[in-house]
Amino acid sequence: MTAYIIRRLLLLPIIIIGVTLIIFSMVWSLGPDRLLASYIKSPEALKTPDAEERLIRKYGLDDPMPVQYFKWLGNVVKGDWGYSMVGKDGVLQSILQRFPYTLELAIYAFIPIIIVAIWLGVISAVKHNQFADQFIRVFALIGWSLPDFVFGLLLLWIFYSKLGWFPPGMVSTQFDLAMRESSWHTVTHMITFDALINGRLDIFVDALRHMALPILTLAYLWWAYLLRITRSSMLEVLRKDYIRTARAKGVPERIVIKKHAKKNAMIPVLTVAGASVIGLLGGTVFVETIFSRTGMGRFLADAASLLDYWSIIGGALFYSFILIIGNLIIDVSYALVDPRIRLN
Amino acid sequence: MDKKPLLKVQDLKTYFHTDDGLVKAVDGVSFEVYPGETLGIVGESGCGKSVTSLSVMRLLDEKGEIAGGSITFNGEDVLAIPEEKMMKIRGNDMAMIFQEPMTALNPVFTIGYQIIEAILLHQKVSSEEARAMAIDMLRKVGIPEPEKRVDEYPHELSGGMRQRAMIAMSLSCNPKILFADEPTTALDVTIQAQILELMLSLQKEYGMSIVMITHDLGVIAELAERVAVMYAGRIVEYADVVTLFKKPKHPYTWGLMNAIPKIDDEKEILYNIKGVVPDPLSFPEGCRFNTRCPLAKDKCFTDVPPLEEFEKDHFVACFRINELEEMIKSEREGELSAK
Ligand SMILES: Nc1ncnc2c1ncn2[C@@H]1O[C@H](COP(=O)(O)OP(=O)(O)OP(=O)(O)O)[C@@H](O)[C@H]1O
Ligand SMILES: [Mg+2]
Repeated sequence: MTAYIIRRLLLLPIIIIGVTLIIFSMVWSLGPDRLLASYIKSPEALKTPDAEERLIRKYGLDDPMPVQYFKWLGNVVKGDWGYSMVGKDGVLQSILQRFPYTLELAIYAFIPIIIVAIWLGVISAVKHNQFADQFIRVFALIGWSLPDFVFGLLLLWIFYSKLGWFPPGMVSTQFDLAMRESSWHTVTHMITFDALINGRLDIFVDALRHMALPILTLAYLWWAYLLRITRSSMLEVLRKDYIRTARAKGVPERIVIKKHAKKNAMIPVLTVAGASVIGLLGGTVFVETIFSRTGMGRFLADAASLLDYWSIIGGALFYSFILIIGNLIIDVSYALVDPRIRLN
Repeated sequence: MDKKPLLKVQDLKTYFHTDDGLVKAVDGVSFEVYPGETLGIVGESGCGKSVTSLSVMRLLDEKGEIAGGSITFNGEDVLAIPEEKMMKIRGNDMAMIFQEPMTALNPVFTIGYQIIEAILLHQKVSSEEARAMAIDMLRKVGIPEPEKRVDEYPHELSGGMRQRAMIAMSLSCNPKILFADEPTTALDVTIQAQILELMLSLQKEYGMSIVMITHDLGVIAELAERVAVMYAGRIVEYADVVTLFKKPKHPYTWGLMNAIPKIDDEKEILYNIKGVVPDPLSFPEGCRFNTRCPLAKDKCFTDVPPLEEFEKDHFVACFRINELEEMIKSEREGELSAK
């Protein structure tokens, strides 16, 4: 298993080169003039008549593509991912500032997603066609068909406008100020974790309160997917001979379901659970916009609408890392659950 | 036989409420199993053999219902035992092995784990002791290198080895009765013989009763002492194995016997059961074999023939026993004159 993981990680640079080559060639095809735009910080720079040509030559924008690509790659390795117009900072720096917010939300959303979806999916299968099953299926159907921004706005209207329980944003103003003070240690860039590190339980709770509605919005969609998969997988497994074998040797029904059936039923669920992790880490534009959160989803959407090339390339680079690592984790967890899968 | 039976099934009726209608899979089945003996249940696919054994162990799915009859095991009324107590009986006093050893073992647990689980459920031993017992059991069923095999997963074993592991698991708690539901059907012929031999020797050692479910008369001849022949959810003939093979009295049994090719047989089979098994959703009135029986007449289409004692310990459910006799005689004569 360890050998497999190392081998997969050794493949990482090759995949990264492939992915970046594709993205880079698309950007390069825009031509030197348009690329120059992302280097110009004020119109002053273009005052002199030959300024454009001079700058193109200066930044090497008319060099052959391979030359430009390797120059860019060299910079990437050094940590210089270009300038982000959206982030008003280096691309890498902008990503590293925003990604923790997305990661934090993903962590807090994933836990209830996986626990509740599997719990409901198993109940639904065990109580096949009974009231509980019908109820859960309707619940899933609504989550399945309700667009996330509609559901998000609905939650915001009820729990913020009407009840005032869960506000949008990341953290309340007074705490936001506290976090800017010099005594505050920023370690993870994730508010809840930093709050714990700084020993501020009040900020921790406040940040969680701000995350409640986005978590619920994200969770409902993934519940709908995951519990359907769990249910159908569980129904299939419960019909298997080995379940009858377990019952025949006197295993209590509760354990038949919890152990003998569930472990087998989890195999297809893993794929969707993995997809949910990758989806959550990608950040969602709607959820971040509706709940005023500055995460990766909004960053990339803004970059796209501003034609902020370097941010787009940087984002693609960053997510190819995440995807590769994510898929590696999925493959490894498959092998952990299913002994028939041999990694090699 | 005047000993007390270990298992007594009387007029068992098991129905399934399916979307297409009521399936009377088992409809009035009675038999006994005595301590240490092997009862064979034989019949074509779909006649209700598996459902009968699943009913006795109370392992029917939610569609299945025991609609009538009684089951007495070890002096207890099985149908009245609460589920918690039934769980203690399953795997401990009653065990079961299935046809398909690939699918009957859980693919995500090692065979050792699955055997140890059974032991720990029913015996007060530590998990180390249970493991030692599991290894012991694997050795007994003829699995080489049991210390190593105990930690392997089902997919790492061959079909024959898996069935041996299955047997090891079912016998790990020394059951009083073992239901073997076509334990060799999925295996190669040579492996089949080995598994049957193993079961016989383990039966000698442990003294348990076996209910051997099969559609293979060869298996019955080798293992069973008494045989129940099932057709469409009912027992049509019930006798000791020698009587049944020598003097079958039901036209269905007679057809089954003649369907086995004999080595010294040069001529073609005299009599073949024609037609197909009736649809379980709409069994015919009267004798359920009447759609295929060459002797069916009048009463056979209206009344259900009761299972009656024809001779001592030889039960037959047929109105036309005498006619069968005559048919056999005339065919024998035809055979002789042809020579
Ligand atoms: N779970 C079930 N739901 C509905 N009908 C069932 C169910 N199990 C069995 N039956 C029906 O009961 C009848 C008897 O089935 P059973 O499995 O006992 O046959 P069998 O004699 O064991 O055949 P085989 O040799 O193929 O194993 C069949 O007609 C089958 O369709
Ligand atoms: Mg069967």
